[in-house]
Amino acid sequence: MKEEIIIAGFGGQGVLSMGKILAYSGLLQGQEVSWMPSYGPEQRGGTANVTVILSDERISSPILNQYDTAIVLNQPSLDKFESKVKPGGILIIDPHGLSRMPQRTDINIYSIDATEEATRTNNQKTLNMIILGGYLKLRPIVKIEYVMAGLKKSLPERHHHLLPLNEQAIKIGMDLIKKIN
Amino acid sequence: MSEEVKLMKGNEAIARAAIRCGCDGYFGYPITPQSEVMETLMEDEPWKTTGMVVLQAESEVASINMVYGGASTGKHVMTSSSSPGISLMQEGISYIACAELPCVIVNVMRGGPGLGTIQPSQADYFQTVKGGGHGDYKLITLAPSTVQEMADYTVKAFDLAFKYRTPAMVLADGAIGQMMEKVVLPPQRPRWTEEEIRKNCPWAAIGKPASRKSNIITSLALASEVMEATNLKLQAKYREIEQNEVMYETHGCEDADYVIVAFGLCARICQKAMELAREKGIKVGVLRPITLFPFPTKEIKALADKCKAMLCVEMNAGQMVEDVRLAVNGKVNVESFGRLGGIIPAPDEVLTALEKLVAENA
Repeated sequence: MKEEIIIAGFGGQGVLSMGKILAYSGLLQGQEVSWMPSYGPEQRGGTANVTVILSDERISSPILNQYDTAIVLNQPSLDKFESKVKPGGILIIDPHGLSRMPQRTDINIYSIDATEEATRTNNQKTLNMIILGGYLKLRPIVKIEYVMAGLKKSLPERHHHLLPLNEQAIKIGMDLIKKIN
Repeated sequence: MSEEVKLMKGNEAIARAAIRCGCDGYFGYPITPQSEVMETLMEDEPWKTTGMVVLQAESEVASINMVYGGASTGKHVMTSSSSPGISLMQEGISYIACAELPCVIVNVMRGGPGLGTIQPSQADYFQTVKGGGHGDYKLITLAPSTVQEMADYTVKAFDLAFKYRTPAMVLADGAIGQMMEKVVLPPQRPRWTEEEIRKNCPWAAIGKPASRKSNIITSLALASEVMEATNLKLQAKYREIEQNEVMYETHGCEDADYVIVAFGLCARICQKAMELAREKGIKVGVLRPITLFPFPTKEIKALADKCKAMLCVEMNAGQMVEDVRLAVNGKVNVESFGRLGGIIPAPDEVLTALEKLVAENA
């Protein structure tokens, strides 16, 4: 098994933490993992992205040209990464941040109204967990128990009371995601 | 008991490996993309466990001179910074090399020149292996390509620094510093006791017993004859290091018609490019120098006898390529490919450069 993922959006949408939780989950499953963030000026308001690789074998390059899955949460990220999904691969979008829809016909495109759901329930910070849930519905590459363990590890202890809320968000995401092409 | 596998950034791995290998003191000044080294040390508070000192100095110049002082007493001391900060340290590094003191310096490179960018780069190759500071000196230079190696080579750098009484540098880039991978940390070694320092470092300035002469740590010798003797001693040491400490790895070089030479993160990108090229039937291999000084000159020369051409891939305008060309000595054509200013070359860009090399040298 090898899954090469790019997650991209605005700084503050939880893109890097979503990647981190996936990487932790892979680690707990005994896989090779790589988490390569953009750490530049993006962190100060522009777009942020992270490349996550989970693999049963040794990972050579943590930098990739093409991805099995792209999760894009804003327009600049769609413009940048739509063309970089492998043919037959997956593109997940949150339509909230987009001014145009993806165009490709040789990939599987899914939409998830995560921003809307997070706003509706007044839990903005669960946005990334809703999307992670949607992704895991399509590609159950890591077990939910490992995701929760990963989340527990990356959240400071004072926030551990939010774990059930996050688990709930993952389940909501699984229900929300829908294919649009 | 086997060690726990952990997920951490390259910068965190450096900090934790330093604590584990019995480091006595870290002196540094923050700069992106390596600030997590000191942040991790501050978070882990090793002064409460191993007794290691962690100190934020007022500048890089102060840091390196604190390292100079600490090293003079036979302590395991280190600093870390990124490109512009390392430039500020060069005077101190030259003094430490001349005074024959062991220490570890970590450079998590960012794009230059000038203040440049905070994005990853390998543009300090010349600065590191061709001097950097003034005078005829060399730095043992280890170039990690994974987060695990960030930990391993921090330990290795201390060992080599003490073996040869010379500063050693871990030369990484911003991407390896910032990325997270699996790491198994080295076992905890105790810090040296004063007795151990007296035994292992008879040169250290830690108080003179009546039985011996004073130990003087200096890089100044106004008499040219004395300074020449110091230089000759240094050169003899560098030849010994060249003889004994070359480290490198190869991938697919056995049947390769074309060889890519790359260090650090670039070597991993080139391995991916190698996989893509082999799918197209181009027989490519990758040689990764792990030590940049001493450089794997002989090994590259031997490959030049078997291959048609070489490509040197770096995140700079072509620096290590000069050493590859010296090693090859005109035997085959050596081309250079790189991205500048903080851009990481993608595997397909390397493949394109490789295909051009093949077309021109078939």
